[in-house]
Amino acid sequence: MSSDQELIIQFQQSINKEDVFTQLVQKHQQKVYYQIKRMVLNHADADDIAQLVWIKVWNKLDGFKMESEFSTWIFRIAYTETLNFIQKQKKQGGKLSNDDLNTYENASGSSDEPKSTEIQIALDSAIKQLPEKQRIVFMLRYFDNYDYEKIAGIMGTTVGGAKANFHQAVKKIKKFVKKL
Amino acid sequence: MRLTMERESLQQDQEWVESIVKKDQLNRFNLTNTDAPFNYFESFPEKMNTRIQLEKNKPKNSILKIIFLNQYAKMAIAATFILIIGGTYLYKNTSTKKVVSNPISLQEIPNEEIINYVNNNESIAEIDLDLVINKENASLENLEEIEIQNIQKAIIQ
Repeated sequence: MSSDQELIIQFQQSINKEDVFTQLVQKHQQKVYYQIKRMVLNHADADDIAQLVWIKVWNKLDGFKMESEFSTWIFRIAYTETLNFIQKQKKQGGKLSNDDLNTYENASGSSDEPKSTEIQIALDSAIKQLPEKQRIVFMLRYFDNYDYEKIAGIMGTTVGGAKANFHQAVKKIKKFVKKL
Repeated sequence: MRLTMERESLQQDQEWVESIVKKDQLNRFNLTNTDAPFNYFESFPEKMNTRIQLEKNKPKNSILKIIFLNQYAKMAIAATFILIIGGTYLYKNTSTKKVVSNPISLQEIPNEEIINYVNNNESIAEIDLDLVINKENASLENLEEIEIQNIQKAIIQ
């Protein structure tokens, strides 16, 4: 598979852009989708936002100057679009759906391991109750193993800001889990 | 060197998190929140292609039209406000000016009009007269000559 840079150059130079664009979508769609879903926590919203993100990429890719990595650039678009979506939801008084408690109860073998289920639910609630910025930093750092520089690039913040958000997030999770 | 430092830093962060919550619980959380419906990623590029075709066929000036319409709407609203506020301001100012610009001096009022006014408002004069009579410590001795004459005139009338 071609590198991002090669694909972008092809996109910017060719008239028939669709094929190159499809390759970029295939290459990055999962990570983009997961990043969005971790923030909105449901598939329907994540799918809508992912489509908006890729349309934005389509419209702006001709002007992309490769000053940053393509993945950082697209994750930043995804992050901004998702934040806009969440803010709109908040203004409309909507709530993000949290239909996951049952999922955890079923997944953890329920009655045999009550303590484990409790911790799982507490962890779930703790992460979901984190402010969006802290939540996304925590996930990008812990689950995706991104360095702080890349996280800062995605979120449009400083490395120090990203580190502070991660530390705040972990402290809050600790506090939440300790209550059990 | 930088990579090694970054790796160590990442490892420290992960160990810190795992000292609070077990790794398998964190992984389970991640799995639950990063799943997608069956075949979603297989069909997504096709779905995007369709959306891109729609995007390409969308007339580009339609966005501009909407912006212009919005601007017109904004301008219309602004003009209405200016008209209402300006109109009220002008109306109030001109009506005040009329009073200020045409001061009427007492000499310009015809005598007949003054006499008519006094006759029509006789009751006011009577009230004033009653006030003088009913004034505290009022007695005929305290009244001045002119006041007595006024009272006499009023009684005769």
